[in-house]
Amino acid sequence: MGNQIDFITSKQKNMKTLIFLLSAALVFSACNSKSDKAKTEQDTASTIDSRSDTAKQTTSVSPVDFSIKGIVDNYLKLKNALTKDDAKSAAEAGNAIVADLNSLDASSLPADQKQNFLDIADDAKEHAEHIGDNASNIEHQREHFSILSKDVNDLLKTFPAGQKLYQDFCPMYNDGKGAIWLSETKEIKNPYYGSKMLTCGSVKKEL
Amino acid sequence: MKKKIRKILLVCAVVFLLMQLYQPARNKDDGQTLPSHITKLYNVPDRVNRIFANSCYDCHSNNTRYPWYSYIQPARFFMERHIRNGKKELNFSEFGNYSKRRQESKLESISKQVKSGKMPLVSYTWLHKNSKLTQQQKEMIINWIDTTLSDYE
Repeated sequence: MGNQIDFITSKQKNMKTLIFLLSAALVFSACNSKSDKAKTEQDTASTIDSRSDTAKQTTSVSPVDFSIKGIVDNYLKLKNALTKDDAKSAAEAGNAIVADLNSLDASSLPADQKQNFLDIADDAKEHAEHIGDNASNIEHQREHFSILSKDVNDLLKTFPAGQKLYQDFCPMYNDGKGAIWLSETKEIKNPYYGSKMLTCGSVKKEL
Repeated sequence: MKKKIRKILLVCAVVFLLMQLYQPARNKDDGQTLPSHITKLYNVPDRVNRIFANSCYDCHSNNTRYPWYSYIQPARFFMERHIRNGKKELNFSEFGNYSKRRQESKLESISKQVKSGKMPLVSYTWLHKNSKLTQQQKEMIINWIDTTLSDYE
């Protein structure tokens, strides 16, 4: 009799383990996509949090005052982080640029300006996202920074930066094809090679 | 001891069988090419499109050629993840949804990735031996992108 009870309880125990394992497997496979989504949502939330000051400014001010100042500020932060080989700060600035781009409302702009902005913003956002996602790979951040620099440079052709900027040129980057960057100072500090070649490059023009 | 091993094997078998129940929707376009497909927007020569189809579209379009083992979990699970991430980075089927400028920088990135051999992924070419790009195929892609981009500038 005692044996019989032992047998039943151990059987129940086994059943429990089995059910647990099965449900764990199901939950694991079913929730994978969910957890990814949750993570991105959390990421976005935290970037918006850290940028809430600028975000508030852009949303509370009337849409006529469409300004890319926030983008320029964070671009310069990104550039300065890269000159210091600081991939982590670069990633933060990259995320901040994504938040800026998301919070800007182009709907009040004249049609041609709006078109121009959306065209560039779609591209710039992707590069800023990659920079944000690659806090451990500074070379990859720099690749995207070179295209982002072109985007910001072209944005400035239509929209004022609100401050004096210099367009600098590094002839070596991109297999010798060269790459531009924008800086708030006349002094050259190269974001493409950082401390390896900090003073390499030249001022192309003043904006 | 023997009983224990048998029990473990049984549990594994049941877990394996239950995993097979998870079969998400397949990445298939059933022969419908969207108007946003790259071939509808750019003049992609047949020989280049064939390379794309053979080496890229499995993860970078809305149409995957599923191998036999894709019907078995957990292979399917990893495959879907690859496809989802691949399409997020670049989707040839919805190329027209990118802004003009973004399309051009995508083309530039494709050229760079192909040139440096980062794409197609080694884990992919390991399973799809004939998807590995030959030097000649790489040049065809790079040249086509070069001419396409210079036409637009």
